[in-house]
Amino acid sequence: MAALALTLAASVACAQDAIVATVIDQHGKPVADAVVVAVPTDGAMRLPTRRDAVVDQVDKEFTPKVNAILVGTSVVFPNHDNVRHQVYSFSRAKRFELPLYAGVPAQPVLFDVPGVVVLGCNIHDWMVGYVYVSESPYFAKTGADGKAVIADLAARAYVVRVWHPQLDGTEESTRKTVNLAHTRRAEVDWTLQLKPEVRVRRAPVGGHEGHY
Amino acid sequence: MTGARPRRAALGLLAVLLLSAAPARADLFYDASAGAFHDDNLTRAQQSADIRADGAATLAATAGWFYAASGADGITLAANANTEAYARFHGLDVVSVGAGAAWRHKFGLGYAAPWVSLAINATHDDYRDDLRDGSRFDARVEFGRRYTESFDASVGIAYDRRIAKNDEPVVPGISGKVFNVRGQSAFARAAYDVTDRLQLGARLAVRRGDVVSTTRRNLEIFEASDAIAADPTFGDDFFAYRLRGTTRTASTNLSWALSEHASVNLSYTAARTLAYDGLDYRSNVGTILLAFRF
Repeated sequence: MAALALTLAASVACAQDAIVATVIDQHGKPVADAVVVAVPTDGAMRLPTRRDAVVDQVDKEFTPKVNAILVGTSVVFPNHDNVRHQVYSFSRAKRFELPLYAGVPAQPVLFDVPGVVVLGCNIHDWMVGYVYVSESPYFAKTGADGKAVIADLAARAYVVRVWHPQLDGTEESTRKTVNLAHTRRAEVDWTLQLKPEVRVRRAPVGGHEGHY
Repeated sequence: MTGARPRRAALGLLAVLLLSAAPARADLFYDASAGAFHDDNLTRAQQSADIRADGAATLAATAGWFYAASGADGITLAANANTEAYARFHGLDVVSVGAGAAWRHKFGLGYAAPWVSLAINATHDDYRDDLRDGSRFDARVEFGRRYTESFDASVGIAYDRRIAKNDEPVVPGISGKVFNVRGQSAFARAAYDVTDRLQLGARLAVRRGDVVSTTRRNLEIFEASDAIAADPTFGDDFFAYRLRGTTRTASTNLSWALSEHASVNLSYTAARTLAYDGLDYRSNVGTILLAFRF
């Protein structure tokens, strides 16, 4: 009985273990939409039941702009605009094309290879979105405050890394090791060098060129 | 100004019909801009005594719809209105209404796929000085490509036609429709996103066709002209002469995105025209424009 109670207590403690990540840029500003991933060093992972994810299209933008999913997850791309979209990706992790459509496509898209998938729309060239396909079920996305919490972790060592669409450098260069065996809450900080955002949507450019 | 009201009403009705006929899956858009420009040679004259400079405030609005006909084809229809109010030469004050249509085709998938577009526009101009009243038409074919996420360029050819409403001859046997002009152009354009907000643009163009130069009585220009009319906008002793000429234009534009829907634009255009009998004039236009897309 005592052994059972000890096991239960230990599992509750394990469930509360967490990595708290803070991501700022080179100017000290919090970085939103950064994906923080933790991979157990011993490779032991409990894979949860996968549910379809959603990348919406609203006001001719992908919503959310960055979506993190577990490998093997299917993504639905509903279109809530009045105009039709043609979503595509040329990324190595997933090449696909959804022919011009309105509403909800009949089939979701399966993302079965880890990596970053860059989304575009062939009708609206400024539209860009990202699906981060994680090989680990332990990931989280930073909010506006630059913070993300990966909760319910087992007490073991992890390699954690961070990715952002504007990251100037490789994701691998952000690797850090965190050991939760002796602490239930580990804080990890990154200062990322970010590149300027490209494909910015803007009002049409005009000018007066005179007459002949 | 007389007779312009029915035409404006007709164009307005056309715009309403176009917009109300928009398919359910069309994307409505509304653009507006406000700004000012300064032109250092409004008369397009060679002699400094004939050159007149002025600035104007501008307002423009466009309502249109975009329809994705296929994954590679987009159709845009738009109606627009524009007004210019000059500081000194009020005869150039103008209200313009027009409509345009454009078809754009992409050769492939992705933002880097090359594209071609065909565009036509028709505009009616109602000036305070009736001499310049008339209609303008232009057609354009453009080929372009985005080479990187921050750089795109295009080349094209264009045809422009302006039909003067009023014939006010001053020389027997010579037309007074000086603003009946037509021309053909070739152009190249490029834009580079320096930062996430700042875009630098450039445009080069060559146009061959009719040009209008306003000067005091000038025998050399008179002999080379095929249409002449008094041009009281610039003074009682000024005449507008129509000639054939070649205009080379270079423009640069700095665009600062305030948001996804607004930008501040500074542009400068330098033009040089060489016409028959040695007429050689230059003009420089500086513009500041606040542009919105709703």
